[in-house]
Amino acid sequence: MKTPVTLFFILSMLLTSCREDPEEKSKACCSKETAEKVPGERSGESLFHLDQEWTTQRGKTLRLEQFRDRIVVAAMIFTHCESACPRIVSDMKRIEASLSEEELRKVCFLLLSMDPERDSPARMNAFALEHGLGPDWTLMRSSASSTMEMANVLGVRVQKLEDGGFDHSNVIHILDGEGVIRYQHHGFSEDTEPLVLAVREFLDSE
Amino acid sequence: MSHRLAHLGLALILALAAHGQQRPGARQMVRVQGGAYLPLYSGKTGKTEVKAFEMDIFPVTNADFLRFVQDYPEWSRSRIKPLFADSNYLRHWQGDLAFDPAIARSPVVNISWFAAKKYCECQGKRLPETAEWEVAAKASQTQADAGSDPAYYQYVLNWLTKPSPAVLPRVGSTFRNYFGVYDLHGLVWEWTWDFNSALSTGESRGNASLDNTLFCGGGALGSGNMTNYASFMRFAMRSSMKAKYCVPNLGFRCVK
Repeated sequence: MKTPVTLFFILSMLLTSCREDPEEKSKACCSKETAEKVPGERSGESLFHLDQEWTTQRGKTLRLEQFRDRIVVAAMIFTHCESACPRIVSDMKRIEASLSEEELRKVCFLLLSMDPERDSPARMNAFALEHGLGPDWTLMRSSASSTMEMANVLGVRVQKLEDGGFDHSNVIHILDGEGVIRYQHHGFSEDTEPLVLAVREFLDSE
Repeated sequence: MSHRLAHLGLALILALAAHGQQRPGARQMVRVQGGAYLPLYSGKTGKTEVKAFEMDIFPVTNADFLRFVQDYPEWSRSRIKPLFADSNYLRHWQGDLAFDPAIARSPVVNISWFAAKKYCECQGKRLPETAEWEVAAKASQTQADAGSDPAYYQYVLNWLTKPSPAVLPRVGSTFRNYFGVYDLHGLVWEWTWDFNSALSTGESRGNASLDNTLFCGGGALGSGNMTNYASFMRFAMRSSMKAKYCVPNLGFRCVK
């Protein structure tokens, strides 16, 4: 009787890594686990193949592989954005609100900056506070090169404007535990239900 | 058996051909003076100012790219990740390290943006920005900016109306422009770093009919320079591409 309870406890600890210090997790177990995975076993479509480093709103450095075994709800935004990005974030918050506490343990919300010059960790942190983004949310930026590469694997079109802003596609992406894009929603959602259903479907298949 | 021998022969010729060339890192670049670039669909009157830069005088060839694949086998045809290229990647080659020697000096095509970007980075270079590419491509043989020269415009347009030949000519087979750069028109289309910035209007985002609109030319009404059908075609090509696409008339060159 005791064993299943302990197992459940350990399991739930393992599944809360979104909320943990990302760097500590990678030190603790991720790198070894990753090394043991045979590269051929990974899907060739996995975003984990990207050789990129990102810096979060907490000033931590991480790689996308950090999100292995989580369902990731992601979008590219920039924090100076006044129209589209807050709406995207609000759609993602509605997805978060629709999921149960148990489901949320395996889900991460990821905002990737398309404006690495201006989106410093401090600036991203202020944005997170302003929008009430909880511990399951990661905002991060990378180099110009990695940012462009990310936009291209996600199929997001980005055009820099003279005023420092961007024209961009509005897309919410859902990645499975192997880092493969499984669902993309273009435009804003009156109804986030299809996205919630998609998250649940991938949670079930994990 | 004879099949295998033929392959061996091919590989040998290939190796000899490759060794006969200069190292690509040492390949010639020339300085392109900066200038103004008015993006199509910018929706603004403002021009982008381009700073001077160094550009490869030729597009990257099959022989050049073979050396890259030898050094970085993860970019070979059999090992490339589907994340980085569609199934047409290097499809005109006979294998990971083999192609018809006749095309050694032809521009490499069937190449994805990811592969082109990686190639340039490994040379200590980068892909040109669209604005840079367009500024270099405005130059005719005699003028840095031949934008208002009808003869030059006609030359560019004529190429666009011709189908690509089955076997692409060697690099350097078209004209040398004012800056000393060859083949910007008349050989292959070329990847640019920010090809994905080709968005027309906000309303069209995510609209599948956008590409058709552009290709048929109806969308040109919103353009900053309606008379330049050629640059409009390049814009249409870029806006229709995704970074993993590999197509038989799209190559690249590097800048720094």
